[in-house]
Amino acid sequence: MTVVASPSELSRRKRPYWTMARRDSLAGYVFVAPQAIGIAVFVLVPLLLVFWYSLHEWNVLAQTFRFKGLENYHRLLSDPGLPEVLIATAIFSIFLVVFNMSLALLLAVLLNQKLRGITVFRTLFFSPVVVSLVAWTIVWSFLLQNNGGLNGILDHFGIEGPNWLRHPTTAMIAVVVVQVFKNVGLNMILFLAALQGVPKELYEAARVDGIPAFRQFRRITLPMISPTVMLTSIITIVGSLQVFAQIAVLTQGGPGMSTTVLVYYLYQQAFEFHNFGYGATLSILLFVIVAALTFLQWQMRKRIVFYEN
Amino acid sequence: MAPVTFSNVKKSYGAVKVIHGVDIDIADGEFVVLVGPSGCGKSTLLRMLAGLETISDGEIAIGDLVVNDLEPKHRDIAMVFQNYALYPHMTVEENMGFSLLHRGASTAEIKERVDWAAGILGLAEYLGRRPGQLSGGQRQRVAMGRAIVRNPKVFLFDEPLSNLDAKLRVVMRGEIKALHQKLKTTTLYVTHDQVEAMTMADKIVVLNGGHIEQIGTPLDLYDNPVNQFVAAFIGSPSMNFIKGRVDGDHFVAGDARLPVPPGAAEGRDLVYGIRPEHFTLAADGGIEAEVVVVEPMGSETQVTMRIAGQNVFGTFRERVLALPGSRLTLNVDPADTHLFDAETGLRLPRDAV
Amino acid sequence: MKTDLSPRMKIALYGLMLILLVPFVFPTWWMVTSSVKPISDIFAFPPEIIPSRFDFSTYGQAFELQPFAKQYWNSAYIAAIVTGGTLIFSSMAGYAFARIDFPFANTLFMVVLIGLLIPSEVTIVPLFRLFLSWDMINTHWPLILVPVFGAPSVFATFIMRQFFIALPKELEEAARVDGLGRFKIFWTIALPLSKPALGAVAIFTFLHSWNLYLEPIVFLSSPEKFTLPQALTQFTDAYGGAMWNIQLAAATMTALPVLIVFVIAQRQFVEGLAHTGLKG
Repeated sequence: MTVVASPSELSRRKRPYWTMARRDSLAGYVFVAPQAIGIAVFVLVPLLLVFWYSLHEWNVLAQTFRFKGLENYHRLLSDPGLPEVLIATAIFSIFLVVFNMSLALLLAVLLNQKLRGITVFRTLFFSPVVVSLVAWTIVWSFLLQNNGGLNGILDHFGIEGPNWLRHPTTAMIAVVVVQVFKNVGLNMILFLAALQGVPKELYEAARVDGIPAFRQFRRITLPMISPTVMLTSIITIVGSLQVFAQIAVLTQGGPGMSTTVLVYYLYQQAFEFHNFGYGATLSILLFVIVAALTFLQWQMRKRIVFYEN
Repeated sequence: MAPVTFSNVKKSYGAVKVIHGVDIDIADGEFVVLVGPSGCGKSTLLRMLAGLETISDGEIAIGDLVVNDLEPKHRDIAMVFQNYALYPHMTVEENMGFSLLHRGASTAEIKERVDWAAGILGLAEYLGRRPGQLSGGQRQRVAMGRAIVRNPKVFLFDEPLSNLDAKLRVVMRGEIKALHQKLKTTTLYVTHDQVEAMTMADKIVVLNGGHIEQIGTPLDLYDNPVNQFVAAFIGSPSMNFIKGRVDGDHFVAGDARLPVPPGAAEGRDLVYGIRPEHFTLAADGGIEAEVVVVEPMGSETQVTMRIAGQNVFGTFRERVLALPGSRLTLNVDPADTHLFDAETGLRLPRDAV
Repeated sequence: MKTDLSPRMKIALYGLMLILLVPFVFPTWWMVTSSVKPISDIFAFPPEIIPSRFDFSTYGQAFELQPFAKQYWNSAYIAAIVTGGTLIFSSMAGYAFARIDFPFANTLFMVVLIGLLIPSEVTIVPLFRLFLSWDMINTHWPLILVPVFGAPSVFATFIMRQFFIALPKELEEAARVDGLGRFKIFWTIALPLSKPALGAVAIFTFLHSWNLYLEPIVFLSSPEKFTLPQALTQFTDAYGGAMWNIQLAAATMTALPVLIVFVIAQRQFVEGLAHTGLKG
């Protein structure tokens, strides 16, 4: 039984402005500030500026910046090259994602087997991820020359290989394949972690119930790893729309415009032809596509993902 | 060491009120246990005292100091968490000395205090280890060591034994009690386990739905529960309740007649309360009960029975060899019985019984 | 799935994996071996899988044709600053979003997450104009500022937040009772315990900066400012034809150090990535 001399007065009088909650809020803002300010300056403001620039024509050399209204958007709709670019982008992204995800899943399943030395395989499959992107692309470009290593090997077996980077179809295959082998290790590792996260008891129960291995994979494995599949597919699709260096080094968008994807076209328009206003308009198109795809996948996630923690 | 006072303490999360005005006085050096079912607000009260939750209204004082707006570090309390919350990247020694280090104690002083605490808790040989290399009981001791090194005014325990297996729990219960007797520090201990409350507390606070049901010594709560909730919560196995009415010197439920002290209120719906251990086997002339399940425990026998169509539970020192379906005859001392108002759940006062 | 396999099955699996390995391993092998072949041998027919003659002069030539040492340093120090900066800002922001209850925290987090939707490819035109007006063209500032604050750092913040959310809250409460303030809790409790996540973020961030290609070719114009990816494409003769052996030597020097670090620390690499908040 304590004698507290009118504690309510005491506390009212002493209550400081900087209460625990206020001080903690302040700490929160201080912690977040660098990132938030950085995002505002280097992402959000530029995003708004893209819209603004798309209404203008900017000449760097003449230092003029003129309002053009919707002219760049009219140009976008009537650009004869654009359909080709969008088709190339779509083909590139679709093939890349399908090939990447299936190969990653296959490799993950293989690496999830009880085999001696599996870590060595894991390391080797992952190794291209850490090889410098341009170095990797240069080697492939060297390999895919008409007189390069690949055709040399094919010739050894009596096959005459095509000039890979000089035909529209094979060039597209080449950029997809080079990109997939470079980065599939990332998805492979994420899938492998997801596979290892599936409780063993589920498989034991399935074996007790006499369910064959193939059906176990469809009915247990796939649903259980579906959140990871969903997430990696979003990352992979958005990533596929950003692929630039490989195109620039391997094909420069050619032959013709067969491998000119949207990012590369944007770069050409803005920084090679100095059509900055039109480049900004293409940026908006790219942004809309990225945002739409992300939103779509987020919506689909509810229907496709069987299980979520 | 210091007394602790909760005065009309309230807590709400937005419109949701979780603590409805709680008053508790804890004397200097007292061991008080907050007990109640999960969600009753006992941990919230403890965390409000610790400074980990804000106080919506009312006051909490440690000694003469109202601590409502003080940071935890200025309250001079120490806390043992349910999951121990040992820093996994520090050794036992670093864990125990961590708070002293951040209060600017000298290395020698820290070493002295940590060695002292480790000596008391038998941790001297584990000082260089990381928590991950310790057993559950050892981690528990480190958590306690971390609390005692600072010699705080109040110890707070938040369900500290719930992660231990049954055997170890009994051992640690004894150790905590012994520690308190040695250090005599004011202690507030939260648990959902009434056995812990009964065995450790100087004083028990029974909480339910954010308000206090009853405060008292363990035996006081056992003998004189104020209502059906406390009666059911304290004591294991739980008190039996049988619905019926008083008729003269008997409580009538269906075809059964149970003895009550004379002068009980007649003519309204009541609940008859009798603890399982207060049934005794009678030769004849007692209460007739049909045996449902017999569970021999060795030291005692637990029997589930039916009286007037209601399940009741009895524990007997004798070895009951009755088969399910057979009948037992039971005796009850009227002094061991309780009567509760069927509507309010309040126990009818003894003198009215 | 993980049942014991029959020996025949094992041999089949090993065989399949060895075939699948070819496109993953051969390019790197071809890069390294071709870089030490005399120029007359690199297009030899049939191709020499294992070099028969060696010529290391290409490695010296790489440094003569371009300020390659300077370019190497550029890439290294930019990647180091970007990684360090990202680790600091992302762990701070990730911690606050995971642990500190402050007004508009969720709104702010959504705003920051928008950064993920806006790769720097989208904003490259206004970024170019902004840096031009700040007189930062042909400096390394854009290559540091854009990654540290753009989409990659948001990804890092997200990973750190997921990690901190999973960290037991009681550890911090214990630290508060032990007398620590927010910053000390962050520094002495949360950060030391988040080493796996920090490692993963560091790897991601470093590789991203090391591989950056669009930004350098947009923002940099003089060879002594170039970073490695950009420099690698510049080993051409007077007619624009690739000087393959020198280019491959430079590519090898670019790729090999990271590859060696990876092989030594592959466990931390792979498991760090696998065990971050990326599981959905």
